[in-house]
Amino acid sequence: MSNRTNVIDVSNLYKAYGAIRAVDGISFDVKQGEVFGMLGPNGAGKTTTVEIIEGLRTPDSGSVTVLGIDALKDVREVKERIGVQLQTPAFFPKLNVRELVDYYGSLYKKSVPSSEIIDLVALDESRKVLFQNLSGGQQQRLSVALAFVNDPDIIFLDEPTTGLDPQARRTLWEVIEGFRKAGKTILLTTHYMEEAERLCDRIAIMDHGHIIAMGSPRGLIKEHFAESAIQFKMTGYPGREALVALKGVTDVIEEGDEIILYTGSIPVTISALLELASSRSAELSDLSIRHADLEDVFIKLTGKRIRD
Amino acid sequence: MKAFKSVCIAGFKQTIRDRMALIFIFLFPIMLILVLGWVFAEPGVSTFDTGIVDLGSPQSAATIAEGLDGVIMDEDTKVFDISEKGMDEALQLLADGDLDLIIVVPEDMESSLQLGQPVALGVYYDPSQTVNQQTLIPILNQVIDDIDRGMQGSVKLIGLEEHSLHSHQLRFIDYLIPGILGMMVMFLGVFSAIAIIQQKQSGIIRRLGCTPLRRSTMVSSEGFSRIVIVLIQVALVVLVGWLAFDVQMVGNWGILCGLVLLGTLAFTSIGYLIAAFVKTEEGAIPITQVIVFPMIFLSGTFIEVTSIPSFIEPVVKIMPLTYLNDALRQTMVDGTPLYAMTTDVLILVGWVVVCLSLTIRFFKWD
Repeated sequence: MSNRTNVIDVSNLYKAYGAIRAVDGISFDVKQGEVFGMLGPNGAGKTTTVEIIEGLRTPDSGSVTVLGIDALKDVREVKERIGVQLQTPAFFPKLNVRELVDYYGSLYKKSVPSSEIIDLVALDESRKVLFQNLSGGQQQRLSVALAFVNDPDIIFLDEPTTGLDPQARRTLWEVIEGFRKAGKTILLTTHYMEEAERLCDRIAIMDHGHIIAMGSPRGLIKEHFAESAIQFKMTGYPGREALVALKGVTDVIEEGDEIILYTGSIPVTISALLELASSRSAELSDLSIRHADLEDVFIKLTGKRIRD
Repeated sequence: MKAFKSVCIAGFKQTIRDRMALIFIFLFPIMLILVLGWVFAEPGVSTFDTGIVDLGSPQSAATIAEGLDGVIMDEDTKVFDISEKGMDEALQLLADGDLDLIIVVPEDMESSLQLGQPVALGVYYDPSQTVNQQTLIPILNQVIDDIDRGMQGSVKLIGLEEHSLHSHQLRFIDYLIPGILGMMVMFLGVFSAIAIIQQKQSGIIRRLGCTPLRRSTMVSSEGFSRIVIVLIQVALVVLVGWLAFDVQMVGNWGILCGLVLLGTLAFTSIGYLIAAFVKTEEGAIPITQVIVFPMIFLSGTFIEVTSIPSFIEPVVKIMPLTYLNDALRQTMVDGTPLYAMTTDVLILVGWVVVCLSLTIRFFKWD
């Protein structure tokens, strides 16, 4: 991966809205052919960052190079070669699917035949339906499809599967994976950890305008947790001290009435936990043991769940 | 060019698929013309107020008056209502619309007829009052021929010498049609604000901002599809006025279209200016109405504004619709100019310049 060329180079990017520093000194690069994910809670600065790269916003300072082009100067040239799906699908309500695909295709120098685009997201049966009469999921799919209309080198997807049912989400994942196989580059923002783990080669986790961690999903999990997670509810809360003191425990996170223990050795910690519970006549419920995942990384780094 | 064409087509489809817009753009002006035209229709001119000017042949004048007086329509309606007038007085009355026709009997009529020489009667009327042109002259010809034959046997000596004069009296419908045109141009222009704000609010413009489409292409093709719609409106309004009320378009079509385009530009720039300052559709609707409705009533769309309270006068004198209506009226039906056409055009251009400069200064795409 490292010997591939960079298709996006962002360095020292700043953007403030009044007193709010939406993007507070960000640098990263995206390599040819990878799926790069940006994770973060609302207001973390993901969308602002992505929209600066897309040429929709101007940063206060910093530089952005896309496909070797200075994206802050030759904005139109960049736009010709990227495909964009914005968070909220917004298109002429009284044009139908086919007309919208043709319309967007006509705005670029080169475009993919509209039937291919429509087939890509399985909207063939709805091709004569006006945009305003499509279901939310269909609108979302069309919005993603329109990012492919100019056969772009880089595709920007902002929460592409939000609001889709699991079936449609999986279909869309296949579309994205197919696109990656074709050697294209994708920059994706998402709320779904499962989506990020499955699709992304690399991930940047953002919070308060900073990138707080970056790497492959596995690498991030490994880097932050050599351990597994034990998750449970407990009557008669013993106090954080008692939990941290349990054998093998490396970290404790409490979320409402749910407690997560991270441990290097599940058998040792489980038996210590059961002992603690019986000594206090406390009851354990909803006990589960799992490997740490991206969500755990996220909670550890930001102190909150991504959906909050 | 490819982009320009497809943005035009998209904008056009957007409009014609919007049932409310369709009704408003096409059905509303037609209904308005038909309803107002019929409600305020003056009875068809069945009697011509006729002035006879005798320049020195009283006997002939009396014969002609008698002949005209005897023309009866629908059993008991006299076609000509005869009175004797002096030349100057008669011309003034015609100009004011109090007379429909003047017949001038020349001084040498009697002597010429006795010598068997041809004589020309002077006939003055307003050809823009179309009903005159179509019925008056044939009836008149017939009456004169009868008199001629009675006097001379078969020799035809008396002819007509037609003079056309423009009277200041327009029928209500003549006044109305250009007013409706002006009003529709204003609506389409000012209400463009709503469409722009909707597209901004919903994020359509933002999404288009991700494509290489130039803003200038977007604006110009938007304007182009609006112009096509306006021209269809013009054709429709003129056609309905002509078919239903026989309103003739007397002026130059090129000038009419030019005025309509200038008006569209002026009112569209007002629309864009609103969109530069108002963020939401809910906020824009009352503002457009506050702009549009006073203009309809104060700019002489339906009725001539004759006595305006002096404190409103400056407002009326600055309203672009006042000048558009005036210019359209001068062109379409040869209405009395309130202002010289150049004044009308200059003031409309002034509106375009001011509004566009402010728009360019303050308009933000997101």
